[in-house]
Amino acid sequence: MDSVFFYRNSKPAGGEDGALQELKIALQPNVSVTGWPATAGSNALAGFTALQDATVVDRLRRAGASLCGYTVMSEFGFGLGGSSAGEAVRRKIADAELVVDMLGESRLAAARADACGFKPSYGLISRFGIIGLIPSMECPGIVSGNVRQIRAILEAVAGPDELDFSLPDEEPLDFSPQEIDPQKTTLGFVPELVGGLSGQQQNKFMSALEFLRKGGFKVRESRLPDFSRFALVHRIVGSVEASSCAGRYDSVRYGPRAVGAKNWNEMYILSRAIAFGSLVKSYLFQGAFFQFERYEAYDNACRIRAGLLAEMRQLHSEADFLVIPTAPGENLDAVSLEETYRMFDFMAFANVTGQPALYMPSVGGGGIQIVGPRRSDPDLLALGESILHAGRGGN
Amino acid sequence: MEFEAVIGLEIHVELNCATKMFCDCPNRPGDEPNVNTCPTCLWFPGAVPRLSSEALEKASLLCLALGGELQSRSAFDQKVYYYPDLPKGYQLSQAHLPLSRGGGIEVRDEKERIRKLRIHHIHMEEDVAKLVHEMEGRTPISLVDFNRAGAPLVEIVTEPDFRSPHEAMEFLKALRVQVRYAGASECSMENGTMRVDANISIRPAGTTAMNTKVEVKNMNSIRHVGDAIAYEIARQSASVQAGEDVVLHTRLWDPDRKVTLPMRAKFEGPCIPDPVVPLIELSEEWIEEMRARLPEMPAARASRFVEQYGLSGDEAAYLSSDPDLAGFFEALIGHGVAVRSGMHWLTTQLLPAVRDRQLALSNCRVTPERFAALLRMLEKEEINANAAREVLLQLFDGDAPPEEIVASRGFRQISDPTALASMVDKVIEDNPSAVADYRRGESKALGFLIGRVMQSSGGKANPKMIRGLLVKNLESGSRTAGA
Repeated sequence: MDSVFFYRNSKPAGGEDGALQELKIALQPNVSVTGWPATAGSNALAGFTALQDATVVDRLRRAGASLCGYTVMSEFGFGLGGSSAGEAVRRKIADAELVVDMLGESRLAAARADACGFKPSYGLISRFGIIGLIPSMECPGIVSGNVRQIRAILEAVAGPDELDFSLPDEEPLDFSPQEIDPQKTTLGFVPELVGGLSGQQQNKFMSALEFLRKGGFKVRESRLPDFSRFALVHRIVGSVEASSCAGRYDSVRYGPRAVGAKNWNEMYILSRAIAFGSLVKSYLFQGAFFQFERYEAYDNACRIRAGLLAEMRQLHSEADFLVIPTAPGENLDAVSLEETYRMFDFMAFANVTGQPALYMPSVGGGGIQIVGPRRSDPDLLALGESILHAGRGGN
Repeated sequence: MEFEAVIGLEIHVELNCATKMFCDCPNRPGDEPNVNTCPTCLWFPGAVPRLSSEALEKASLLCLALGGELQSRSAFDQKVYYYPDLPKGYQLSQAHLPLSRGGGIEVRDEKERIRKLRIHHIHMEEDVAKLVHEMEGRTPISLVDFNRAGAPLVEIVTEPDFRSPHEAMEFLKALRVQVRYAGASECSMENGTMRVDANISIRPAGTTAMNTKVEVKNMNSIRHVGDAIAYEIARQSASVQAGEDVVLHTRLWDPDRKVTLPMRAKFEGPCIPDPVVPLIELSEEWIEEMRARLPEMPAARASRFVEQYGLSGDEAAYLSSDPDLAGFFEALIGHGVAVRSGMHWLTTQLLPAVRDRQLALSNCRVTPERFAALLRMLEKEEINANAAREVLLQLFDGDAPPEEIVASRGFRQISDPTALASMVDKVIEDNPSAVADYRRGESKALGFLIGRVMQSSGGKANPKMIRGLLVKNLESGSRTAGA
């Protein structure tokens, strides 16, 4: 086994037919496949074997995809420390990889692999069988060499699921190919974000905007002075949800149980001490702190989140899509919470708002993200296809 | 100083749904340990809770039956605490947006005055697992049974409107009747489908202060709730008289010693909105549909019984106190039994017999149809009351129609005047002293003579006719002149 795969499927045969029959898709071990070691990269689930197929797995198989195995992942998919996400695609071992996106992981993994990465709208894909950490923010993302494949995969896995009632009761989206008319498409960019970039990054981003302008798109400023609040809200709400979500890893029903405890309370404490790595531990501590000691801060964060959602809706009344720079950080193996959040500074906002976000490498020389309103996924992917097409024509 | 008590109740009712609240596991906590479990109620990684529509419906019916106002928006929260009976570190409960607000029940206080006892709100929550603590040799071990984990519950939180143990007990009895009518639960404290915690504080009589309360748990009958409250009022009064402060804490009722004892404080965690279980939005139409599903409730039924059948208020209230009993009564009338005899035979004969056999009216062999057939024979004087009682006992043991039992076992009443006249003559002849007593004016002697005739008929003689014949013979004295 190489450094990319944690588990290889010995029978990866795809289906006879279906929209994805040519595709090899890699998963991370936080997506349940019956009989596979779905450890979610955590010692809390060491030795755990999934009992059920996640809905996405079931749908990928029905669409004819072949599932090649589990790649190495960060603990519970939080950040990319120690993760090989994107590597299978970069090395062309797989055509695509599902990477659960809670801070921006699928997009950042794509950036690292020089591929495209897409986080769909929240509520579009069933979370049944996904071993999550931040329920209101996370969503399976798709890393792939091209946007057309992302669209085919999304079309196969999206839609209502009777196993996940948390999906909003909404009409299924229409993913049929469509033409984008640049003249009728307004792209906004947030000047407050450009200021935070290094000189070199600024240049790359400005040349990407220039490329889009040349492509005929209307490009305008969209002011978002509160952008720094997204990360703050994510940190508070995300950590509180993570603390609750990880409450089940108590060593009573499964997971490693520490020996030598004198009572159940000690058993909890000692077992949880060996279950989690230090980054996740500090995140859980932070969440427990807000739960138990600063509930009002959590309450405020939820309110601010609602306000930010409204602000974003307002921006989208002026611009169809927003063009967002990618993260400035280079150190993907962040060890502290600070570093981890800094790494996803330009990405986590889409997890706070549940918007779809597409990362594309080398648009006019640099990687950018484009985000649209919730449920604009088909339009956003069509836009991505047309931009990449123009890019290839232009090069 | 004279004190008055301020009491509020928190009542957990286990809904009688077929499945648990968030998965399809059977809702049968009493089965072999840990058989009714699945990845969802054991909260395996990747599990997604799915709120059962039956739980929502039954909870809503219960709320409506208690006069609550169903909220158009309600939601689940996570009550966070760590305990081995909780498989995910939090309990799904509605802390911020409950299913229903308001409501209440009218009861009679000790002086028969009507008191409206208000409900603050009713919310849904999931039950937790059951812990069993044992010794394995010298090692204490704790076993966890997850059959109950995720069972559907509602919690009814009252206003602190109660002033006495009597009011609390009356409230619980009335609540039980309402919930049974709604078909949502059996509400048996003995079986654990209803659990009651009481919050009790005291204050100088006539004042409006809300003082530090003490919570009392672990009562497993309505009577125990009354006893525990009474004990707690006395205990707190004594301690205040002695100049001690009441401290906020929880106590357990000890049913053997009939005292409350302090228990170790349980850690109460925060409640944060659950991000997974969807917001519950109830439309006006849905709420009306639920309201239409409620049966005629006990108070309405009782007044109809007075109106329609001419029962007394007490009789009507008694019959209406149990939906099965009221239904049985109406079925009897529907099968042509007269109101008075139906009421009388149901309450004085059938119910005690059912109880003796530890059966329920709804699941014994004596159906309204069979019981009615028996009572109709009695009304037509085809059998007498003695025979009816005998036949009733046999109805419990088999499925034969009562007519067949009467025919095959010779219970048919003897109403042939000639046959009865000769029996009467014989008894008059054989009991001269009783006859003499009667003639001296001792009316008791008539009863004795009727008994003798009944005895000689093997219990089958028509008692009305015997009485007539005896009186006629004794008054005329003609046939016995020689004695």
